[in-house]
Amino acid sequence: MFNKILIANRGEIACRVIKTARKMGIATVAVYSEADAGALHVDLADEAVCIGPAASKESYLVMDKIIAACKQTGAEAVHPGYGFLSENAEFSRRLEAEGIKFIGPKHYSVAKMGDKIESKKLAIEAKVNTIPGYNDPIETPEEAVEIAKGIGYPVMIKASAGGGGKGLRVAFNDKEAHEGFSSCRNEAKNAFGDDRVFIEKYVLEPRHIEIQVLGDSHGNYVYLNERDCSIQRRHQKVIEEAPSPFVDPEMRKAMGEQAVALARAVNYESAGTVEFVVSGATKEFYFLEMNTRLQVEHPVTELITGLDLVEQMIRVAYGEKLTITQADVGINGWSMECRINAEDPFRGFLPSTGRLVKFQPPAEVDGQVRVDTGVYEGGEISMYYDSMIAKLITHGANRDQAIERMREALNAFVIRGISSNIPFQAALLQHPRFVSGNFNTGFIAEEYPQGFDATMVPHDDPMLFVTVAAALHRRHEGRDAGISGQMPGHERVVGEDFMVIRGEERTPVTVVSIEGGYQVGVGGERFVVNLDWRFGETLVNGSVNGKAVTMQFERNGLKYNLKHNGTEARLVVMNRHWAELQALMPVKLPPDMSKFLLSPMPGLLREVAVKVGQEVKAGEKLAVIEAMKMENVLKADQDGKVAKIVAEAGASLSVDEVIIEFE
Amino acid sequence: MQEIIRQLDEKRQKARLGGGQKRIDSQHAKGKLTARERIELLLDEGSFEEWDMFKEHRCTDFGMGAEHVPGDGVVTGYGTVNGRLVFVFSQDFTVFGGSLSETHAEKICKVMDHAMKVGAPVIGLNDSGGARIQEGVDSLGGYADVFQRNVMASGVIPQISMIMGPCAGGAVYSPSMTDFIFMVKDSSYMFVTGPEVVKTVTHETVTAEELGGAVTHTTKSGVADLAFEDDVEALAQLRRFIDFLPLSNREKPPVRPTADPADRMDESLDTLVPANPNQPYDMKELITKVVDEGDFFELQPDYAKNIIIGFGRMEGQTVGFVANQPLVLAGCLDIKSSIKAARFVRFCDAFNIPVVTFVDVPGFMPGTSQEYGGIIKHGAKLLYAYAECTVPKVTLITRKAYGGAYDVMSSKHLRGDVNLAWPSAEIAVMGPKGAVEIIFREEKNNPEKIAEREAMYKEKFANPFVAAHRGFIDDVIMPHATRKRICRSLAMLRDKQLDNPWRKHGNIPL
Repeated sequence: MFNKILIANRGEIACRVIKTARKMGIATVAVYSEADAGALHVDLADEAVCIGPAASKESYLVMDKIIAACKQTGAEAVHPGYGFLSENAEFSRRLEAEGIKFIGPKHYSVAKMGDKIESKKLAIEAKVNTIPGYNDPIETPEEAVEIAKGIGYPVMIKASAGGGGKGLRVAFNDKEAHEGFSSCRNEAKNAFGDDRVFIEKYVLEPRHIEIQVLGDSHGNYVYLNERDCSIQRRHQKVIEEAPSPFVDPEMRKAMGEQAVALARAVNYESAGTVEFVVSGATKEFYFLEMNTRLQVEHPVTELITGLDLVEQMIRVAYGEKLTITQADVGINGWSMECRINAEDPFRGFLPSTGRLVKFQPPAEVDGQVRVDTGVYEGGEISMYYDSMIAKLITHGANRDQAIERMREALNAFVIRGISSNIPFQAALLQHPRFVSGNFNTGFIAEEYPQGFDATMVPHDDPMLFVTVAAALHRRHEGRDAGISGQMPGHERVVGEDFMVIRGEERTPVTVVSIEGGYQVGVGGERFVVNLDWRFGETLVNGSVNGKAVTMQFERNGLKYNLKHNGTEARLVVMNRHWAELQALMPVKLPPDMSKFLLSPMPGLLREVAVKVGQEVKAGEKLAVIEAMKMENVLKADQDGKVAKIVAEAGASLSVDEVIIEFE
Repeated sequence: MQEIIRQLDEKRQKARLGGGQKRIDSQHAKGKLTARERIELLLDEGSFEEWDMFKEHRCTDFGMGAEHVPGDGVVTGYGTVNGRLVFVFSQDFTVFGGSLSETHAEKICKVMDHAMKVGAPVIGLNDSGGARIQEGVDSLGGYADVFQRNVMASGVIPQISMIMGPCAGGAVYSPSMTDFIFMVKDSSYMFVTGPEVVKTVTHETVTAEELGGAVTHTTKSGVADLAFEDDVEALAQLRRFIDFLPLSNREKPPVRPTADPADRMDESLDTLVPANPNQPYDMKELITKVVDEGDFFELQPDYAKNIIIGFGRMEGQTVGFVANQPLVLAGCLDIKSSIKAARFVRFCDAFNIPVVTFVDVPGFMPGTSQEYGGIIKHGAKLLYAYAECTVPKVTLITRKAYGGAYDVMSSKHLRGDVNLAWPSAEIAVMGPKGAVEIIFREEKNNPEKIAEREAMYKEKFANPFVAAHRGFIDDVIMPHATRKRICRSLAMLRDKQLDNPWRKHGNIPL
């Protein structure tokens, strides 16, 4: 076996590879950019080499520097992770020339699969289903109808030069094909000055399902079942699972065998993934592309097969034979992965950078909860790299259990300082359509057309928030009543009657202290609430009527903020008399911020590009903010007139700070 | 007897209604609670003992002889906040617009005198149209009687003003002499002269809200310490605030039980200070990670943001925090921040509250506006406050401590009891670049030489050890152990005794 390998990557995947190497007794070398000097993978590796400035094209993408680092440290092989140089045939070739093993497929496999046209050709030759289509220019509507009939409806009529939905028609019959062709062609001519149009099969209710394959240098291949990655946001995978709730054993076998056939066609030696688009309506599946690397979502396959894919890759690269055959590959339970990204789901998923003030992932439980991450509390999320900071993977005996464990794990995952997509992930995990398994790649766009708001996520048990908030409030009151210096004999006595206020909803409750917790009365019902929680902690572990619950809790003055299963509840708890008076308070509407230019991020205001009284048009430059050494130009959303410049150039801004006021 | 009891009950009912149901409704319609409702919220349930409920004014001019309302526009008495004694007066806007008469003032003076005698805070809930004009000079005399007591009570018992309605003209000077001023947004304002007078005299057009609203005073003037959304939030937060304060200067600050371990380590603090000395970081993160339960009650958060002040607890006991904020103006000291911190340090000193200071200060802010504004005297206020201060002082230098600002920020030389530094501390007269340009002036055209000198200077001074060699720093500590080290220092200092020489009073550069 290798004595030492280098990991030409960063973040969670570098850490993940180091873990397996360590398990196998292989020494590890990390490479890092200047921005990553304090990164976790550098800390975990046995050795680390700095390979240049923050920008990846000056560090992680520079082959010379990585090869030099191998020579300097005596690393015998390189694991490329995913992204960066992982699917770069040239890199693989150059390593080979230097006598360094590439832990991945051979360069010829990478090159062939990296070419869209050639890979499709190879797929057809290997009898892999490809999307039927007609790529030569079509002249007349009649011709188009004939071609469409040949392909089989529905079909997609697309302008060659098209994009962004322009010059695109879907036809379900001859008539629509006839009309669609003509209008598509006209539109293409007007929009792009290019009237070439082609036709291909339109996949109804498309799901993204991929097959994990593994090959060695001795001609052995296995497929390790499928992964369903249909939950996507703008073509970015959000949740992945294995197996797919849609695939049955025959289909799995058919897809798996085609995937292996394709791998065999390019003498594939390593772990790879063959991606298919699958029609949720007809179960037909078509080859999309092959990813010649380890995928982000490989852990779900690992958890249902019990294999360590990185270990397999290392062994294959060393020249070992696969020790498993197709017959050994089974499916044990169900696994799910949520990608935890540093992005703000409440601001259109804008990347969020900065210091991880709090980063407390849920506890890992062997065979149930796994956390792959490359960051740590107090670390910095820079803007130079991918926004994915962790992967949360759960396993259960079945899909429901995997989902339930994922919900709990998300409830317990605390990230502060930067925004994360955890609230969004938690809401997805709660969505009935997701739970049913009946979804396709359009799921997020269809279900969240207006974006995302955690306070709008329905919760199946709103009383949970009421009872926990009441108990938490009682704890605060009880503790406040324990202060020193009270008037002897006239000490504070905490009452039992409270009002829990959540928006318009007012719930009268009684809270009585009992052994180990509180009894909360709501109407005629009694709830026993136990809290394993210390003042100041974000995470509240506890139980309500014996049922375990994990919530995140923050207190801001009077306001309690509780998060559970994707719902964010904002509550106020006070005694009944307080609540009566509170009802007299005016409801203050948040100010209309459309009249203001707000800072979207913390940073330095470099420039204000407009003057008071100036008319601005939508899209015009208003100001420049420097954040994380990058200049961000803020542009006008709509036409308007500048009323006031609130922040001057040179000011340091926090998020949502007003820069310019419009009339 | 029955009849007398019935009469008393009747009188009470009448008094409780203040200016009558109509005016109460109008007060509610403005989003404001009545004087009595406010007291009910502020104090523990059923703890209020009212005095002078039946007191009435003695004025007969301008038809006032016919108009009598029991209580005369202010509700006074005492009660408890979490079992601790406080005195309170709450002006009743439903009675003569809460205007201050001679008798109204007498009621306030009575609770102040009692508070001084027994050693308990006075809390004023202000909602008053101003002087009772019909009374003329009697009313003015009433104000002055209150002012005099404010001054006598200063530093003896905590005085807190919650502005919950108008507070204009001479009336502002009572709150202004109290220790803390809080305001309610949209319903309170404070100014010496109102918008009409301003318009006549200076031709400026300004609304009452702009001139003296809660936002104005917490962001522009620094007059108020905090602004709250409404009466209920304001009073709830006031209760929270009172829990930090000792009842008088004869007491130690209160202790509230906590389960937060004194030796709680926080590894994330090891990466708080960025590698690049010019990159800012948020000092509030340090405070919230060090303090008990992350519970920090910040004062003046939107004014002079380059310095942070506020209360927290360490091992349950109240501590005042003062910290430079590198996120704003690089954390430098200027006129506003010096005044803001100086007054806070003096409050802590007067009331036996230990002061914990976190230092990352590149110096005083340069510029004509600062010099013309008198930074020399205003900066000296903070220096004076720290030097005069005899309560336990624990100081931690996280990064820069340059020049005179190093001395000012609770340094060893100003009787700092425990002075600690992180390994990232740089204690020097100035930053490397400036220093080299002065010391090696003749080499300034030789960039190579200058760079070399800069590196040398950095190595020699951009660390905490030069100061540690001299004992100006007691120890260089690991950031993750900050809480533990400060808790232990404070525990060691709990019975500190230090007195300044007798004098009538010092002469702080005002």
